[in-house]
Amino acid sequence: MADLVFMKSPQGDEIKEVEATAEALSPLMSTGWHQVPAPVAAQKPVVVAEEEK
Amino acid sequence: MANISELLNGWGFGKQTAIGTANLVATIWRHTNLNTKPWAKVPVNEDDRAEIGKGHEFPTQLFKSHYNMPAYELSKYASSEFLAWALSFSMGNVVVSGSGPYVYTIVPALGATNPTGLELPYFSFVQQIRPGGSAVLDEMLVGCAVKGWKLSIKNSPGRASAMCAVECVTTGQYTSPSGITLPAISTPHEFNAGMISALTFNGINYLTGGSAKQFVSMEASWENNFRPGFFPGSGAQDGYQIQGRFEWGDRAFAVQFVVRVQAGSTEYANLINLTTGTATFTMTRDANNSFTMLIQKMGFNVAELGNTDGIVTLQITGVQLYDPTNGMVTMTVTTPLQGICQ
Repeated sequence: MADLVFMKSPQGDEIKEVEATAEALSPLMSTGWHQVPAPVAAQKPVVVAEEEK
Repeated sequence: MANISELLNGWGFGKQTAIGTANLVATIWRHTNLNTKPWAKVPVNEDDRAEIGKGHEFPTQLFKSHYNMPAYELSKYASSEFLAWALSFSMGNVVVSGSGPYVYTIVPALGATNPTGLELPYFSFVQQIRPGGSAVLDEMLVGCAVKGWKLSIKNSPGRASAMCAVECVTTGQYTSPSGITLPAISTPHEFNAGMISALTFNGINYLTGGSAKQFVSMEASWENNFRPGFFPGSGAQDGYQIQGRFEWGDRAFAVQFVVRVQAGSTEYANLINLTTGTATFTMTRDANNSFTMLIQKMGFNVAELGNTDGIVTLQITGVQLYDPTNGMVTMTVTTPLQGICQ
């Protein structure tokens, strides 16, 4: 399965998570959608390497 | 004195944050270049010969005018890294996925929706000969952009069978000495024509269809036709005006290819019937390095009968049509390098 990426609409009012394939991305990118970082809620929790004692 | 082979080239694989803000060293790579010339700086002076009132027609004074920087060619064997870089910086709308290798999906940006309007990402270019205290040449050109590129594929052995030449422009802004310690030279993952794994143009499969021996060569090119970037407030270097932007004009995407003619060849039929279809060109080196050019809607404009080394051939000039759903072309490059055009 292809990786997923987040794409933002040219109007800036919509974010979609789509498969990073040419088939899925071409219709979006050719109409001005562009990649954005994953929204905070979609990010994996940060693993704390070493807790303070 | 120095031999030209001592010339070191490095340039930003990451994009500058603004046209006048140079790449940091962490986003600069170093590569070889088949172009054996350095990038020349050309300051232009003017004089007052056209002004009357001096009592004669001869010039009496010099004035600083502008930096007229020539375009510069980066000529390399096509590799996954270099193609990802050239296509990203020339087309502008880039999506990166994966966690190594990285997959770059690239399409031409639209002026209406591109966050930087008609401007593409900028990068810095470093050229050095014996950098250090007694450098023969050490400068960084700031605000460079990719004007266009040409990808050439041909039936021949070795890396020369897949070449990519990129034409770059720059504003005239520079720093000297560059202040950059170039990294070790990169080892690109290069392609050759033997690695072509898909080759279908407008419904004709030249790789496995027909006799599978038809393909001779292909040239694809992109041209941004930048508009001159001199304007009020565009800036100055050493008292000479520099360009403050590179805005694309009427962009052009051209594809030509040569194939051997055989019984049942359908290129003429496709041309006169105005047949259109997708075109897919793929080179696969391994799981970490591949390149696909997917033209969404190609027709044939010219099919000219000729001969290539004594074999009857057709030279086809494609017309790349803008598909209302999928656009014109989608480039996909898989490469181990992270951060290209980011």
